[in-house]
Amino acid sequence: MTGNSQTPDPEKEKRKIKSVKKMKEIMTNYYMEAKTAEQTGKKVAWITSGGPVEPLIVMDIIPVYPENHGAMIGASKMGVALCEKSEEMGYSRDLCSYARADIACAPANGGPIGGLPRPDMLVCCNNICGTVLKWYEVQARYFNVPLFILDTPFSHTGFSDEARKYVRKQVDEYIAFLEMVCGKKCDYDRMAEVGKLSVQGQRLWQAVLDTAAHKPAPMSAFDAFFHLALIVTLRGTSVVVDYYTGLLAEMKERIASGISAVPNEKYRLLWDNLPIWYRTKWLSEKFAAHDACLVADTYTSAWCGSLKYINENDFLGTMAEGYSRIYLNIGVDEMAETVIEMIDKYDADGLVMHSNRSCKPYSLGQYDIQRIVQEKRKIPTLMIEADMVDERNFAESQIETRIDAFMEVLKAG
Amino acid sequence: MKNLALFHEIAKNPYDYAKKVKKESGRKVVGYFCSYTPEEIIDAAGALPFRIFGRGGDSLADAHLQAYSCSLVRGALHDALSGGLDFLDGVVFPHTCDSIQRLSDIWRINVKTGFHIDAVLPVKLDTKSSGEYMADVLKKFLRDIENGLGVKIAENDLKSSVMKYNRIRSYLGKIYRIRRENPSLIGSRDLHAIVRASMVMERDLLVEELAALAGSLNDGKAAGKTAGKKVVLAGGVCNLPDIFSIIEDSGGIVVGDDFCTGSRYFEGEIGINGDIVESIAKRYKDRINCPAKHSGLLTRGEHILKLARESGAKGVIFLFLKFCDPHSFDYPYLKDMLNREGIPSMLFEIEEQLPSEGQFKTRCEAFLEMLEA
Amino acid sequence: MITLGIDVGSITAKAALVKDGKLLSTAVITTGYNSRNAGESVFGKILSEAGIERSEIGGIVATGYGRNSVAFAGKSITEITCHAAGAHFLNPAVRSVIDIGGQDSKAIVMDAAGKVRDFAMNDKCAAGTGRFLEVMARALEVDINDFGKMSLEADNPARISSLCTVFAESEVISLIAKGEKRKNIIAGIHESIGSRVAAMAGRLGLTSPVMMTGGVAKNIGVVKALEGKTGKPIEVSEMAQLTGAIGAALIAMTL
Repeated sequence: MTGNSQTPDPEKEKRKIKSVKKMKEIMTNYYMEAKTAEQTGKKVAWITSGGPVEPLIVMDIIPVYPENHGAMIGASKMGVALCEKSEEMGYSRDLCSYARADIACAPANGGPIGGLPRPDMLVCCNNICGTVLKWYEVQARYFNVPLFILDTPFSHTGFSDEARKYVRKQVDEYIAFLEMVCGKKCDYDRMAEVGKLSVQGQRLWQAVLDTAAHKPAPMSAFDAFFHLALIVTLRGTSVVVDYYTGLLAEMKERIASGISAVPNEKYRLLWDNLPIWYRTKWLSEKFAAHDACLVADTYTSAWCGSLKYINENDFLGTMAEGYSRIYLNIGVDEMAETVIEMIDKYDADGLVMHSNRSCKPYSLGQYDIQRIVQEKRKIPTLMIEADMVDERNFAESQIETRIDAFMEVLKAG
Repeated sequence: MKNLALFHEIAKNPYDYAKKVKKESGRKVVGYFCSYTPEEIIDAAGALPFRIFGRGGDSLADAHLQAYSCSLVRGALHDALSGGLDFLDGVVFPHTCDSIQRLSDIWRINVKTGFHIDAVLPVKLDTKSSGEYMADVLKKFLRDIENGLGVKIAENDLKSSVMKYNRIRSYLGKIYRIRRENPSLIGSRDLHAIVRASMVMERDLLVEELAALAGSLNDGKAAGKTAGKKVVLAGGVCNLPDIFSIIEDSGGIVVGDDFCTGSRYFEGEIGINGDIVESIAKRYKDRINCPAKHSGLLTRGEHILKLARESGAKGVIFLFLKFCDPHSFDYPYLKDMLNREGIPSMLFEIEEQLPSEGQFKTRCEAFLEMLEA
Repeated sequence: MITLGIDVGSITAKAALVKDGKLLSTAVITTGYNSRNAGESVFGKILSEAGIERSEIGGIVATGYGRNSVAFAGKSITEITCHAAGAHFLNPAVRSVIDIGGQDSKAIVMDAAGKVRDFAMNDKCAAGTGRFLEVMARALEVDINDFGKMSLEADNPARISSLCTVFAESEVISLIAKGEKRKNIIAGIHESIGSRVAAMAGRLGLTSPVMMTGGVAKNIGVVKALEGKTGKPIEVSEMAQLTGAIGAALIAMTL
């Protein structure tokens, strides 16, 4: 910390994850490339976080993620002002705050990086929610650019043959759409390569997350929230494979040297739902002060959750199922099973659920998941009612009281 | 008017009605959500399709659904958990929106109301592959209904149900048109009761009653020009009959709507040639879409403008449920389109009950005061 | 012709007499429990103060929350329409009105004739209304009439982020416990109310000149906060609280 009169705390320094610096560089370059795309003649696509980015990589289109931008807006504490602006535009305050913030950003180039680059096309996959459909319709009207919708039917109790046929058909339509917008044919050999890189990246990400099963965990969910960005945005590139290879090595080194995310880890917790982007540090420190570490979460693991459905030697063919059966596109009971698997894998003592006003598919059903977890594993659950980007929905002293009370229960138990 | 009492009675106490039908005729009752449910198939199987709405209470839903979900899902779940829907032999959940989607899971886990069918209809309605998928889903739905009810649906039964529904929808459309030309013949609150009852009534009886009603209205004398300002209502589910009375008491004349519980419910005829299931699918694909579905970027806006122009409406009142994401996302562009045509509009978000302090009345009056005569 | 406008609000009842298009007299009383009685009382008061007989009045319009309980009124018209007409009378150039009352807030845009073109209301939630300020005044143990003056002296307005009045109150209590200065807290409260109302008004697209009406208009701190949030200068008439009644009396002339 140059220029600072205080000498840096060597303990804290040791605990810091070194790869963070590299990640920041990569993301900065990525956004710069996206914002100068007009000059380099590359096309820009806005795509949903659960959307199939691999074909975009194959076609040399720069993928941009309004949701990732939303997270940045939240983290820079610019969410409230942008949400207020969207309400002035007529959007209800009850709508998803990612959507509200992004819709407000576009006309004013607001947000922490002066707005996202104009899209040449929009790609919307509704596997994460129905809101993205409406959000992308708004942006399609605003930017007047072609919109492709990948409709991935919901799997309440299983993935139907009808759905498989439908989604597979749409994958071909998607490629045709990209070919039309770009005016060039898709290179299927490259597609196979990118598919393999995507699978490799996902496996590495899973391996990184797996390191937190170690006691004590070398990284926490809050670290995962940060390092998640690459597997979401640039999945299918070698940049992602290289980065996570490095990060995995660092985690193994930390384990070997006895460096943990929380200095005195006594309680291991599982986080459910999206992060509270404007309070990740506050929450991390609050739990750490109680010697608690959020060792894993259901959100970041969603970007390697489809590995079981994807065949790396037939990426295009198995993509349909892989993208359809993600964590948010399955029944509440199946989600509860996943939560219990994670509790067992990471040996969690408690579950922390963020009841996120902005996200109905993630939040509605949490009460039942909570009940199932309590029945089957008898561990305490903490419910935090807030929002991922709109800080007006975060009541600090009420939440503080809940966290303290939860930790008291854990400690007594 | 002779028939209206029956419609009002059924609209007011649908649960009692359904239980009575079940007791007297032995017919099974299949509950469903959403106007995308292919009722024709349920009817062809010999069961009574019964559309579910909440009845005003929602406290039992608190254990399963956060407060930021709409009163339709909360109210329906409350009813189910309280045992109020125990008379159902099965429930159908078509894919509508995120909230209905999760309600289905929560219902499946916590409630026993007979068999449980998810009909995961496409969200896209404007492509060839989504049309094919829609037909595939309906074919599967047919098999699921057969299994759930323990019957086989013959091609003739299906054809016969389709023709029945075509008649029902045609009469409802006719009644709407008669009213638009002559609002004094029948109140909009009455119209609401008729459509509401149509969603739970024995469909054979319904056809007869609607035919008689349409006939008697046709013979009704035109009472001359009705005082008041013409408005069109736009939105989703509107299950609060008082809203219609308040609008009319405030000096408005409702000359049309695009409600899910109104004209969108009965729009569209089904062809009876060729594959019947595919024809049914086509009707659900082609009618004006709910905002939870995608069928072009400006389709709904153009439809509402057309509705306003053709009916001579001076303003549009948007009414949809609080926490309804699809409708809330559409609202700004719809208002914008209306503004550009010089058509004033107002929004009121509905919850399970109207606020007690007359807030809706004040807004309504203020809006109507704004409009030209 | 002499006409009368009666505005029965949740906290005060107002009356205005207009003769040949000119304001003759006004009166204000506390509404109390019974809005019907309040209507009668303020009617009696204005007649005696103006020295006018009941029979001399050509038309009576009632407005406000209690408008339908004013039995002697010829017609009841909403306060939206009346505030627009009243504001137009006070300044014909005005094109937008912001009214923050005891239990709701509204924004109105009007045409050159004072007729309402569009409006937006917050009538479901206490935050952004006079009630919000009352709750805060109690929590701070400050006379609400001092709010305006005190907030102007703030050197570092506090940030109050809660959307809900109840939670905002607990935020204020936390700030007091942390030793935050009252004037800064009050400024923060005004910013909060300003944000809420400005966002609602923003949906309409405010056009200058903008006038603020209603009881809360007397609070210079809120006016300044609104100016900051909307980016537009806001005028306040001395007759702010009577705008509804004046508008009602004017409308009575056209009936």
